[in-house]
Amino acid sequence: MSQSVIHRRSLLAGLAAGGAALALPARFASAQSAAPIKLGFQLHRTGIGAAYGRWYERTAQAALKRLNDAGGINGRPVEILFEDDGTDPKRGSEVVEKLATQAKCDLIFGPLFSHVVIGSAPRAGELKIPYLVCSEGFHVASGALNRWAMQPGISDVRAQCTSVAPFVTQNLGKKVTLIFPDYAFGHDHRDYFSAAVKAQGGEVVGMVAIPPSETSFTRYFPRIPRETEVIYHVMIGPAVLTFVKELGQFYGKRARPEIFGFIDSLEAVDLNSPGLEFLEGTHFWEGHCRNLQADATEHEKAYRAAVGVDDNGASVSDARDVSTYGHMFSVWETLSVIRQGMEAAGYQGVADRQKFVEAVEAMTGWEESADHPQGRKVFNGRTHQVFAEQAISRVEGGKLIRVHKTAIEDSFYPDAVDYTTQSF
Amino acid sequence: MQRSGGTLLTAALAILPGLALACALPPSIVMTLPISHYLAGAALTVALTALMAGGAAWLRLPAPMALARWPAGSGADWLSYLSFLIFLALLLTGYAGPRDPMHNLLTLVFWAGIWVALPLLSLLTGDLWGALNPWRGPVRMLRLLTGWQGRIGLSRLGAWPAVAGLAGFSWFQIVSLAPEDPLILAQAAGAYWLVIFVAACLEGEDWLREGEFLHLTFAMIARLAPLHLSTEGGQRVLSLGWPGAHILTAPPLSRATQVFVLLLLAALSFDGLQATFFWLGLIGENPLEFTGRSAVQGVNTLGLIGSFALTAALIYGALALGRCLSGEVLPAGPVMLSFLAIAAGYHGAHYLMMLLTAGQYLLLALNDPLLQGDAFLGLEPFWVSMGFLTDRSVMTAIWNLQFALIVGVHALAVMLALQITPGRRSGLAHLPLSVLMVGYTIFGLWLLSSPTGV
Repeated sequence: MSQSVIHRRSLLAGLAAGGAALALPARFASAQSAAPIKLGFQLHRTGIGAAYGRWYERTAQAALKRLNDAGGINGRPVEILFEDDGTDPKRGSEVVEKLATQAKCDLIFGPLFSHVVIGSAPRAGELKIPYLVCSEGFHVASGALNRWAMQPGISDVRAQCTSVAPFVTQNLGKKVTLIFPDYAFGHDHRDYFSAAVKAQGGEVVGMVAIPPSETSFTRYFPRIPRETEVIYHVMIGPAVLTFVKELGQFYGKRARPEIFGFIDSLEAVDLNSPGLEFLEGTHFWEGHCRNLQADATEHEKAYRAAVGVDDNGASVSDARDVSTYGHMFSVWETLSVIRQGMEAAGYQGVADRQKFVEAVEAMTGWEESADHPQGRKVFNGRTHQVFAEQAISRVEGGKLIRVHKTAIEDSFYPDAVDYTTQSF
Repeated sequence: MQRSGGTLLTAALAILPGLALACALPPSIVMTLPISHYLAGAALTVALTALMAGGAAWLRLPAPMALARWPAGSGADWLSYLSFLIFLALLLTGYAGPRDPMHNLLTLVFWAGIWVALPLLSLLTGDLWGALNPWRGPVRMLRLLTGWQGRIGLSRLGAWPAVAGLAGFSWFQIVSLAPEDPLILAQAAGAYWLVIFVAACLEGEDWLREGEFLHLTFAMIARLAPLHLSTEGGQRVLSLGWPGAHILTAPPLSRATQVFVLLLLAALSFDGLQATFFWLGLIGENPLEFTGRSAVQGVNTLGLIGSFALTAALIYGALALGRCLSGEVLPAGPVMLSFLAIAAGYHGAHYLMMLLTAGQYLLLALNDPLLQGDAFLGLEPFWVSMGFLTDRSVMTAIWNLQFALIVGVHALAVMLALQITPGRRSGLAHLPLSVLMVGYTIFGLWLLSSPTGV
């Protein structure tokens, strides 16, 4: 623990508050220009995304430290300017403008919330600045954004839903009831997962749409058909604990169907929390395994240590402070792609932004490595979207133990766009 | 295009004011507590207090006693000079420091320190702002240097300038797009400081006590504290009493200070309300997918105004109804003093969570302001941690503390209302006000236990 804290001290030292100039170690001196590469980070520091923002920043700091320790990019040091967007699309657009025109950042990365991404990306397109999102939204691959927007760090929700369907239908049951919040996010799951289940020969026997403002769920549970073999749930928000508690009360000592959820419901929440006992033996999708698995790679362990996360996915300084582990690796891996893209493009300055985008578009994927600790990736340069292995984990003794790893190919779907045909 | 993955938030943990931190828990533990029992118990407690206080003379707060006296002098102006220098340094930090509000000392010192920690401390120690404000010293100095010791008549406006200040501040805090943005905060704070500085130079530093909203806010909130410093006949008097006892010795509120108290109550209430599922549903926002402040500025401006109008209508309405029922007049000036207890207690309960969250960032930044590995407070570098928000025992303890505070100040308020009223009035005259306070207790607790989506 003290090591990691000292580590933070040194990494913060290197950060120089407010974008003050960095002291340049000798290893950077050989570059043509020793001026730092400036990366803008659009951070959900306040607003509804603040819990994710805190861990995204922490991951970014750790990744930056590693990057600079290894010599930066093209021999130049790298600095990150964090700018809060309040998890608000209007501010997001202003943040893009500020980072691009005032701070003169080389590119921008980091936003998570889809509505903020959708509100900000057009400005990035107008300003012709690479905009790398860590959002897992389908908005990039759907073609809704522009040539400058990319998602090379995390797979999108459509791919995730699609990839877990074979496991669910083959191992948990073919008759599925979906419980989802009744708005776009829930609808994405409803549509993509239903289609994938049908493609696997399964059947959706029930759909329980729950109004987003609902805080008590007991009256919805009788709508779960008796023949249900698997419940697929994606409830989120402050009432999630109530949801789990009431679902447990509904089934009582009766046999319950199998239950499959998305970790988004309980991201940043300890599964050992009182009231969550009912989840024992249920399954979750995870973008990245929160609990250190028996077969974890050295890269995975190194990533965990660098960010300051223990074997249970919590902060090394507070075992109750569970991270947003299933998503935050995207920040680390996006920074890795930024380095590789800039190196491939021979990036020198803002005039090379287009070259950078073209260099990333030319990439086809990455192996599991220190740069990509979550696992192997396939990158689709036409849709600007990465595809990854997904984990399906079972809750055992309050820990998430991976029982299946989906093949990357399980998550493919037909391209909806070819950004490379669009002009810059 | 549909929104998706990024909206998957479980943990709507806002950290700054106006972003409704008080009860914005990640999957809320408080929601799983038997809240209806708590509300019923609270209502019963306050109602019983009102009944008993109406009949029992022993349920009266004893008058505070003087602990120490000393001759009044210019005294602690050096604190104000020091504050002023720190204020300048903070302004500079706002303009040129880190853009991340959670690493910028201006944002943290103002929102977590001055607006939250200092009032909480003042609930124990008495008014600290009177000594710590960044105006008094510089104003005295400029008036001495220029030789201008006159006035321009601002004092005739009473507390109305402070009312305007609080109204503007409340809007900035609750409605404006980015009150925590270091640059925006620096611009707002700098402009406000300058306006008040010029006014106080022209009118004299004593005007600050009534005309500047932070002075008045602290003076009012600190009336609940056991300790109180006052000036009597050229002497400074430090007195000690039960919480609320110093409200008894306060002069009746003028019309302007009544409005000030109403505004304080309304702003606190609306700050809580605007984050709830209830309000978001009312204005057509999806509470699981809050669009952001930019989408609700118009409606929240109306909400803030409406909240003030409703608070005023309810309190003055209760007084009028009491008059109708009993034929006796409850004078608003003294009776409104009892609401100071509620405002103070609710400020504490409402911002407690912010103290525990943003307060960590403040400690971190004070310890190591330039992010260079310093330890000015002697603290080892640490990670900011929000683990307690998902810890059942900690969150239950915090809720119980908030519960006790809210119930306590409301019970105190009904007692004070009875005790403050000059002469004897029948219970009937007090009945509507007591009912209102029972209602306000439930409302306050409901706010603190409601699911929030902002």
